[in-house]
Amino acid sequence: MKEQTPGFRVSFLKSAVLSNPVLVQMVGLCPAVAAMTNVRSAVLISAVLCLDLIVTCVLASALMKRIPRAVRVALYLGIGLALICPLLYFIETYTLMNLGLSIKVYLPLLAVNAVTALHCEKVAVKNPVRTAFSDAAAVGLGASIVFLIIGTLREVLGSGAFAGIDLDLPISLKGLSLPFGCFILLGFLAAALQAFSPYLRQAQTRETDAQPAQTQPAQTDAQDDLWSDILEAEAVSNERLAALDEFTERLIGGEEDAQ
Amino acid sequence: MKMISTLLITVLYTVFVQNLVMSAGLGMSEAIRLAAKPEKFRSLAVMITAFSVITGTICGGLSRIPAIATLPFAGRAAVYGGVLAAVYLIAALLLALLKPQDRRLRSTLGIAALNTLVYAVPFLNEFAAYSFAESLFSGLAAGAAFVLAAAVIGQGAKLLANNSNIPPIFRGSPALFLYVGLISLGFLGFSGTSLFQ
Repeated sequence: MKEQTPGFRVSFLKSAVLSNPVLVQMVGLCPAVAAMTNVRSAVLISAVLCLDLIVTCVLASALMKRIPRAVRVALYLGIGLALICPLLYFIETYTLMNLGLSIKVYLPLLAVNAVTALHCEKVAVKNPVRTAFSDAAAVGLGASIVFLIIGTLREVLGSGAFAGIDLDLPISLKGLSLPFGCFILLGFLAAALQAFSPYLRQAQTRETDAQPAQTQPAQTDAQDDLWSDILEAEAVSNERLAALDEFTERLIGGEEDAQ
Repeated sequence: MKMISTLLITVLYTVFVQNLVMSAGLGMSEAIRLAAKPEKFRSLAVMITAFSVITGTICGGLSRIPAIATLPFAGRAAVYGGVLAAVYLIAALLLALLKPQDRRLRSTLGIAALNTLVYAVPFLNEFAAYSFAESLFSGLAAGAAFVLAAAVIGQGAKLLANNSNIPPIFRGSPALFLYVGLISLGFLGFSGTSLFQ
């Protein structure tokens, strides 16, 4: 049977919005927190992340399905470095752009980004190239939108400027330029996304219903809700504690009986 | 005595003043995901520390070779990345030979080795111009910083998951982000940064 893939709109709504890699899956936080203090760095890091994500996912889907997982993970790093390091050299040498220390360090770190590894392992190697590409593009776009919002808000509110142009604002919130400010912004953005989620889910259902013949990609694992994991882990530890309590009670009961 | 105090300062600085996870976001995704899987805490913490120490020390040694020291930054980044990949592959091979049945440990190995925290350690050592011993302690401190951050996030995540007073739209990742933001603000206090000047 010919394998069918979902449309890009469904994939975008699911991978980029409802299961946003940054706001919902909480991956790719490292560059957002430390390097994304202005629009320029947000654009640069988003572009490099999208490139790395798409190329690595497509290669993983096309060539790496039979390679053992342990080797595949190292290959993702290799592909990332092969893309990013020449790009960094080109930017530094030929564009004479002053990248600043934080961007300079965080660009190579994108090669080991959790977004790429997670989507290559959970989606790309289990699906055809087209699905891997549309998932990578949607995830990259989803992360880039968040990065751009964060970069813009942090520059405007934290430094009183936009793309380096001074806006002469009466108030500047210096804390937003610092890592804790980014986490707080991310918290409010995630809450806003959660508030709109019911409407977005309805839209997704309508889109999916409009394409009845199409099958969903095997990407449910990638979009596991982190929160349910935490609750599950908590339930497991509570079960263990309950079992321990029961055992202790039995032990004490046994001792009392013996006495 | 002076050396011991220098090494101690390196550790305290990396763990508290400039906690790599809370202040630089390095390894943050792994620390948050670890909150959901507390049974992996010990093995992941030990492996991250080991990879930080080994990679940081090897890269520290390599960066003293003139041919590598004179490379442009992008070239050195590629060398450090290559070292990290090689260390990871050797560890994976050793694990496959010594503990072929331990699938859980093997699945954790990739997350422990190939993350932003471990890859950032050689760069930090280079920028701080650390000696061999300081590089070693900086790797250990990076692992300790991760353990501290992951433990604090994990405890907070458990409490937040059971708190029914949180408004519905803030339940889940929004509450965790705000919690991590406040903890990060607490760590900022160690650095003496003022928000109002």
